[in-house]
Amino acid sequence: MTQTPVVPDAPAVPAVRLEHISKEFNGSHAVRDLCLDIAPGEFFSLLGPSGCGKTTTLRMIGGFADPTDGAVLLSGEDVTALPPNKRNVNTVFQSYALFDHLSVADNIGFGLRRKGVPKAEIRERVGAMVDLVQLGGMAERKPRTLSGGQRQRVALARALVNRPAVLLLDEPLAALDLKLRRQMQVELKQIQREVGITFVFVTHDQDEALTMSDRVAVMNGGRVEQCGTPEDVYERPESRFVAAFMGTSNLVSGVYRDGAVQLDGGPSLPVGTRPGIADGSTVDVSIRPEKIWLSDFEPGMPVVGGVIRETVYSGPTTTYLIELAPGVTVAALEQNTARARMEDRWEGGERVEIGYDPEHCLVLGR
Amino acid sequence: MSATATTPRPRRRRRGSRRRPVFAIATTVVFFVLLYLPIAMVVLFSFNSQKSLTVFKGFSLRWYEAFFHDSVLLGSLGMSLEVSLVAMLGSVVLGVALALGLVRHKGRLGSYAGLIMMVPLITPEIVTGVASLLLFKGLGITLNSGTVMIAEITFSISYVTVILRSRVAALNPEVEEAAMDLGATRWQALRLVTLPALLPAILASAVLIFALVFDDFVLAYFTTGVDPQPLAVRIYSAIRFGVEPTINAVGTMMLAGSITLIGLALAIPRLFGRRGGLDLISGE
Repeated sequence: MTQTPVVPDAPAVPAVRLEHISKEFNGSHAVRDLCLDIAPGEFFSLLGPSGCGKTTTLRMIGGFADPTDGAVLLSGEDVTALPPNKRNVNTVFQSYALFDHLSVADNIGFGLRRKGVPKAEIRERVGAMVDLVQLGGMAERKPRTLSGGQRQRVALARALVNRPAVLLLDEPLAALDLKLRRQMQVELKQIQREVGITFVFVTHDQDEALTMSDRVAVMNGGRVEQCGTPEDVYERPESRFVAAFMGTSNLVSGVYRDGAVQLDGGPSLPVGTRPGIADGSTVDVSIRPEKIWLSDFEPGMPVVGGVIRETVYSGPTTTYLIELAPGVTVAALEQNTARARMEDRWEGGERVEIGYDPEHCLVLGR
Repeated sequence: MSATATTPRPRRRRRGSRRRPVFAIATTVVFFVLLYLPIAMVVLFSFNSQKSLTVFKGFSLRWYEAFFHDSVLLGSLGMSLEVSLVAMLGSVVLGVALALGLVRHKGRLGSYAGLIMMVPLITPEIVTGVASLLLFKGLGITLNSGTVMIAEITFSISYVTVILRSRVAALNPEVEEAAMDLGATRWQALRLVTLPALLPAILASAVLIFALVFDDFVLAYFTTGVDPQPLAVRIYSAIRFGVEPTINAVGTMMLAGSITLIGLALAIPRLFGRRGGLDLISGE
């Protein structure tokens, strides 16, 4: 047996185990040497930009793509050589891939009919599923007459009704408008809790991944850059890519020495002692805009001076662009809460001080 | 300058729209008269009570009656229906399979096959006819309804494939994957999902092929045996010995049948709720 990453508190047999899988297309790697364990009942997201290999990974779990190397295990059983129809997984496709010539009920019942489930039971399970995804009264309609959101629910019900061990979802919400997407995110999460099936969810939307997932694997260039809880990958990114991909992040560079980073032509930022980083080496410091304080500093907090260059009001929040040194600008985010008054906002050109907790700084060596 | 130049323009346009396009209308009328007058004459004289082909004496159905008592013509009609039906079934099965193969097979071989497939559409039919005749003679095969069927199927596959190919290409590949994801084998996915999605185009091409083969003369002439002969060939032979008004009756019935079938072919996609029944022609 090869070594695979250890998941905290994971049961002995993961629902999905990917062992060193690779996928080559015409000599270039879409996925390379990827290892993952997904626990039963987990809502697991594969997150990354387009072309990072997340959909290919999902297709290898579903059986639609054969790994060039490595093995796919479902509940401990090696299914690498099995076709899709022999795997206990179902997929919600990005295009929904509904059968237009069949009614909603017949679409949902398709998988059960293939398995030879008795007619009465099919009717009962399809009915229950129609209710679960709130499609009551639409069972006899043709998919073409439904709205995008309703078609999405049919695709979900058609997969879930088979009670698969794992449900694969390939950017299922990508085609919906923003408001409907937010609503479906909440609903999907509720349904997942209700049915207790392992969800493997592919998305390029970090908000979506953070909102819904128990764990997220951030992928880049066919590899997993970081895998952990939403808090882990957002608050404690382990690489420059993850820091930049998970929301906005300030990235400034300088020279590390004695627990502080001297910015090029600017102030020195105390970041705490970093054991892994040599004195005198050039580093990047990353800090989230919402982790920067503009007032009410806590005692002992490092404080640096700067000049407001831009004030961007965007409803619930206001973003300030603050120049710490010529060419070194950071963004700071303030909530427009009830206590914050409009007239208290800073204007361009004003001198301010910013404070931060060194713990929130990510120091990345080069 | 610019102000005076722009003002007369709307007036000129109004005057232009009032004038009738006499030449265009005249051309159109002449075109339709030349096209449909001979056919109208055939239909008219099929109801003539006399044998004359120039003077209409009165309405009667005697030539229709004569046709249904002519055992040779009836035999030809039966053979034509049989040949059309077999050619329709054969070319649809092979044509659909070819369309699926051409679209799904990625590679140089597929695109070559796609080009070769188009050749029968542009080859003069007489060349195909002579070539078929030489082939059957060379192989020592006796000409009969079977040889007509083989020739007609070969000729018709291209039509089916042309109609079906763009439909197959427009299918979402995820739909077949979804069927397999839900437990269907490759064959079941084809039967339960892909073919139903193609059904309107399949039916439309089937009706079209039936009509084309039923009317076909050239290919049938070269590949048929002596007795029975397909209806079109039989009519041609009959005309050589003087025109009987019975031929007018046959022609009128063939016309009615063809119009019905073509209308059906155009209507089928609409009946299935697809927009634009005429897309049969463009294959879109």
